Amino acid sequence: MISQPVTELFNLNGRHFLVTGASSGIGQAVTWLFDRLGARLTLVDLNRAGLEETVARCARNDHQLFEFDLRRVEEIDTLVKDAVAGAGFLSGFVHCAGIQTVMPARVLTVAAWREIFAVNTESGLAVAKCFSSKKVRADNGGSIVFISSAMALAGSPGATAYSMSKSALHGVARSLALEFAASRIRVNCIAPGFVKTAMFERVERLWNDSQRAAVEAQHPLGFGTPNDIANAAAFLCADTGRWITGTAMVVDGGYLAQ
Amino acid sequence: MGREMAIQMSREHLLILGGRDSVRLNETRQACCDPEKHIIWQFDLSLVDELAASITALFAAEKVRVSAFVHCAAVLKMLPLRSLTLEQIRDTFNTNFFSAMELTKVLMKKKINDRQLRSIVFISSIASKFGARGFSAYSASKGALDALMKSLAVELAPEVRANSVLPGGVRTSMTDRIFEDTEMAAKFEHDYPLGIGEATDIVNAVEFLISEKSRWITGQQIVVDGGRTANITA
Repeated sequence: MISQPVTELFNLNGRHFLVTGASSGIGQAVTWLFDRLGARLTLVDLNRAGLEETVARCARNDHQLFEFDLRRVEEIDTLVKDAVAGAGFLSGFVHCAGIQTVMPARVLTVAAWREIFAVNTESGLAVAKCFSSKKVRADNGGSIVFISSAMALAGSPGATAYSMSKSALHGVARSLALEFAASRIRVNCIAPGFVKTAMFERVERLWNDSQRAAVEAQHPLGFGTPNDIANAAAFLCADTGRWITGTAMVVDGGYLAQ
Repeated sequence: MGREMAIQMSREHLLILGGRDSVRLNETRQACCDPEKHIIWQFDLSLVDELAASITALFAAEKVRVSAFVHCAAVLKMLPLRSLTLEQIRDTFNTNFFSAMELTKVLMKKKINDRQLRSIVFISSIASKFGARGFSAYSASKGALDALMKSLAVELAPEVRANSVLPGGVRTSMTDRIFEDTEMAAKFEHDYPLGIGEATDIVNAVEFLISEKSRWITGQQIVVDGGRTANITA
């Protein structure tokens, strides 16, 4: 069989993907890369202005924008139907939306952890669930990627709710992978280490210089960039990842290796 | 797997093709793009004591430098523990594990490779993570390979990245006849949610891991198995 080099296979021409959290950080980097690779996109975020900024730097001018609060989990079904009505069947979905609040156990509240769980986990599951319908998914299969976190696999003080929400995505991916395999929908997670994004900067502000240096030293390759995560998402969504499902790909500069 | 990897990778890379059988190595080279550009290194990896001298001589003769090292070679003898001899276990470890460690060591020598190595990819196996009857020596060698990979990722950062790819059952010219057995084919169909894989599925992961697109990935076991290890009913 004649196969193409991997750079040519990173090709998303003619495919429609939905991206959550597209107004900043990893979601924005995924949008820009998938746009360059030829995909048509439905971009979902709470922040309308941020979405406008994201699409302003895209090559295509036919991406759909949805200003939407992912805490409204019950309405996601309608959101996805609207996305398909506007731009056709979906070949996949990258769940980048996430919120993180540093909360030690003594200040952790039920309302706070439910909010984190709703945005980070339940909304991703709600979108993924729609792929069980032939009215949503493209005939030739697809790829779902949940952006989780190294915190799904390692602990950190104050990150209890965040870790819970991200490790739950790993469980979702494994079981959905088995359910969706027959329709050639693959489901995987990408678990990033510390990536330089606006969310990262909010956490970073809580550190002094020596704390920052200590965290960076825990990453043998230093801190990452949103584009490092976007490249892994493209690998999993393009045909290059066609035999990969139910896995968690760690992209963390070596953070979890030591 | 190594042959199919070489053929696909020859489209974008210059290769040193290592193997113990020079006739088969030549066949592989002839199947590559621009065969004359690739170098053959005929060596039996089970002779690990002689490995360093052999590869050093090759580098001196060919005046080459290597930026990526992919270790595909593996011995698999499916035998229950009681029938395994120490010699067979050693043989498995020499080819699957010690040769990878020894080769990495040589490729890290400034005098030999001029600090050109950037990426190491070990072809491990899902048998590194899960048990299977008759696989004890093989699994242990792949587990050792993955543990080595993690330490190399930490020790050689940031200049060199190290990762492994953990394939499930893949159809190659070598395994083709296994799938002629309809019972075996049916078992694979059941166990692998996405069906049986092809060599190109593994090569795609290797190419990704040696490319700059994965510049922030190190110390990882990348599972490429069609969902096999997520499938507890298998």
